[in-house]
Amino acid sequence: MLSPPSVPVLALLGAIAVGSSAGILAWRARPEPGAVPLVWLLVGQSWWATCIVFSLTAATPAETLWWTRVAWCGVMLVPVAWVLFALEYTGRDHRITRRNVALLVVVPAVTVALALTEPAHDLLWIEQAGVAADGTVTVDQGGLWHAVAAGYTYALGVLGVVPIVRLLSSRATVLRGQSAALLVGILTPWATNVLYNFDAVSIAGTDPTPIAFAVSGVAYLGAIDQFDLFDANPAPTWRAKQYLFDHIHEGAIVVDGHDTIVDMNQTGADILDVAVEEALGADASTVLPIDDGLLSDGGKDVLTMGTATTARSYDLSVTPLTDRHEQTLGHVFTLHDVTDYRRHQQRLAVLNRVLRHNIRTEANVIQGYAERTEGEAAETITERTRRIVELGEKGRDAVELFEGVTDARATEALERVLDRTLADARDAFPSVTFRLDPPDVDERVVVPDALTVVVANLVENAAGHNVGTDRHVDVYATVTDDVVEVRVEDDGPGIDDEELRVLSSGTETPLSHTSGLGLWLVKWGTECVDGDLEFASDSRHGTTVTATVPREYEPGGIAWGRRSRPTT
Amino acid sequence: MASKTTDASATTDETAPWYADVLASIVDAGRRLTTVLTHSSMYLVCIAVAEVATVHAALSIGPTPAPVVVGLVAYAVYAGDRIADAERDERTCPERSAFVARHRTLLSITSAGAYGVAIALSVTGGPLAVGITLVPGAFWILYASAWFPTLSARCKRLKRVFVVNSTLVATAWALAVVGLPIAFANAAVTPLVVVVFTYFLVDTFVNTEIPNVRDVEADAQDGVYTLPVVLGVQRTRRVLYGIDVLLVALVGTATLTGLLSVSVGVAILVGLGYALVLAWFVGRTTALGRLSIACEAKHLVVFGVLWGLTAIGV
Repeated sequence: MLSPPSVPVLALLGAIAVGSSAGILAWRARPEPGAVPLVWLLVGQSWWATCIVFSLTAATPAETLWWTRVAWCGVMLVPVAWVLFALEYTGRDHRITRRNVALLVVVPAVTVALALTEPAHDLLWIEQAGVAADGTVTVDQGGLWHAVAAGYTYALGVLGVVPIVRLLSSRATVLRGQSAALLVGILTPWATNVLYNFDAVSIAGTDPTPIAFAVSGVAYLGAIDQFDLFDANPAPTWRAKQYLFDHIHEGAIVVDGHDTIVDMNQTGADILDVAVEEALGADASTVLPIDDGLLSDGGKDVLTMGTATTARSYDLSVTPLTDRHEQTLGHVFTLHDVTDYRRHQQRLAVLNRVLRHNIRTEANVIQGYAERTEGEAAETITERTRRIVELGEKGRDAVELFEGVTDARATEALERVLDRTLADARDAFPSVTFRLDPPDVDERVVVPDALTVVVANLVENAAGHNVGTDRHVDVYATVTDDVVEVRVEDDGPGIDDEELRVLSSGTETPLSHTSGLGLWLVKWGTECVDGDLEFASDSRHGTTVTATVPREYEPGGIAWGRRSRPTT
Repeated sequence: MASKTTDASATTDETAPWYADVLASIVDAGRRLTTVLTHSSMYLVCIAVAEVATVHAALSIGPTPAPVVVGLVAYAVYAGDRIADAERDERTCPERSAFVARHRTLLSITSAGAYGVAIALSVTGGPLAVGITLVPGAFWILYASAWFPTLSARCKRLKRVFVVNSTLVATAWALAVVGLPIAFANAAVTPLVVVVFTYFLVDTFVNTEIPNVRDVEADAQDGVYTLPVVLGVQRTRRVLYGIDVLLVALVGTATLTGLLSVSVGVAILVGLGYALVLAWFVGRTTALGRLSIACEAKHLVVFGVLWGLTAIGV
């Protein structure tokens, strides 16, 4: 039994109590990432502190030296456990292989062996330095291997700190709290040890590092209890990023500032027909078939790979990687397979030609023959042919929307769009009364061409399906800071619910379909510019359709809605 | 009938004694305290402390931190056990399971803290005290968890072996109860120590087997061979009688030969008499939970008798 304990001994007992408690809590958290290494770390700390208590309270100098030697088991366990904890906790557990662990424990094992066999050599010597005023035997340690062990310990400490420090910038408060507590837990004893090794701090002539474990124990307890160390774990984050890099459908190639390939996913290797291992370390220009050098401005290009029959096209994007000083560190090349998209575009071009040219030509021929005859049949043929031509034009509009010919970047003034649409409608439907309520703004508001298709079809639909004797179509345009809203009201019979349902579902069947292409064009055109469409329809008051499109829509990063001009 | 009921109610309200509410509050508080003591295993802490105090008296050891350390370890191990077995207890002890689920965080932190403080206190007793303090926890880890898969698998197989399971539990606790005072006092291992250790070993074994009567069906299904599973309840009772009688013989002999002081010998013999009475209820009562607690409380009886005898100068 000990005599009344001194202050250092009391502090060490506190460190043991707190460290053991945290160790038990960590043990209960298994198999959460980092739990087991943290247990070993806390076992190492507690062992170290316990041995120092026995050393300080030993009855003889020989006993003091013995416990100092045995303490080295804990001393060397702590840094190894810390590195393993940092790797596992941050999701880098794939680096914890048997081989790596075996390599990690070589220096600690040698150190412990040298400490236990210490009198037989002077690589790591432990000797009595003197006797303190209270009778405590003071110990001095040194030797070549002591320096090696200290350096190794600090190196592992830094190695483990790096991934934890990165979490300090996490967007999750709980992860920032965890990492801060963990850093306090590891840096406090390490700083104490550094100060001791440089003879700046010494308590009762002995290493005060284990006393600092009281602080680290509290920090680990705080991380576990206050910051849910084992309930909110960052381990999946790093793995998820790696998983996404490895499994995205795009090929991804990372090059450094010297155009050397430093990383590449399997998709990228497959596209370029190279092995990842061969490509890594190679010059980018030898792997990527780019004649003009690397695109450094975030530009895009299309890359074609393969033979004439098996050729596939890739949209090649180059994104610069910069550090916090905006200095370029390298580039990421992404290869997006656009082969199917380009084939689709080709098919649309053919359809466009057929709808634009061939149908109109054939319809003109039919109309020509119909005009040579007279009577009701001829009029029906002429009328139906006109409708075929109209249908072809709508089909062409649709193709152009999909093709991007009606480019979202192509814009027109809202006023002109409305005036032209209403003028065309008055010509086509002379018996319908049209009224326009233009936007009450001083600035010139531009809208994408897609909205022209939307407004034209809305007005045409409102007038064409209005069957009363006194028919009206009113168009209201409103502009706010965020959106452009065009509302078309008619006093017709209203849109059939079934048509709206089909439109809402987005698909047609042979038994469930709309009456034409007009409403589809309205829907597709609005969707093209990220707009909203709203229908209000009943048989007594007709139909109100409201198309709302954002002013800040940025197709390909180009804003179209803010080209205001000075008011006059 | 209706008016009668109304009258009775009114009469009850008017004549309710002034202390009724106070009594009700005291009863309620007592129930709550009993629930906490029972479900959190705090009562086992009291029993463990009484056991270590008895050892101090039996071995004539002065005050040491051993009772505190053993009490803390008992709380930590049993509270940890309650947390680990919470799901299993839903079937056999639903009230305890609900209590643990409700106070899981508190129990987890306080039990970990208790073991941490126990270890730190044991450091003041030297390496042997630290080692003995770690025995119940280390044994529980091996016995109840799969931290070391191979070793744990063997330990779990040991748990199924007839008598071995209870013997291992009894050894761990007897070692802590008897060993820690010796380690703290730096006392020598004498024949008296052997007698006291044997008594606590065998007695803890008995106390471990009595709760097994309640779990006989579940243990049989799980392939755990306890005394009641292998011998049946009737024969288990007879075996317990036999063990208690052997302990009476051991303690009586030690007392008669002067190895054990009279006061300690008498106190333990009274406790063994109490245990024999309780053994009669094995298989004859359905309140097996209370029977288990009553058996474990035998050490409180021993300690109480010992304290009384000491007080009157025996």
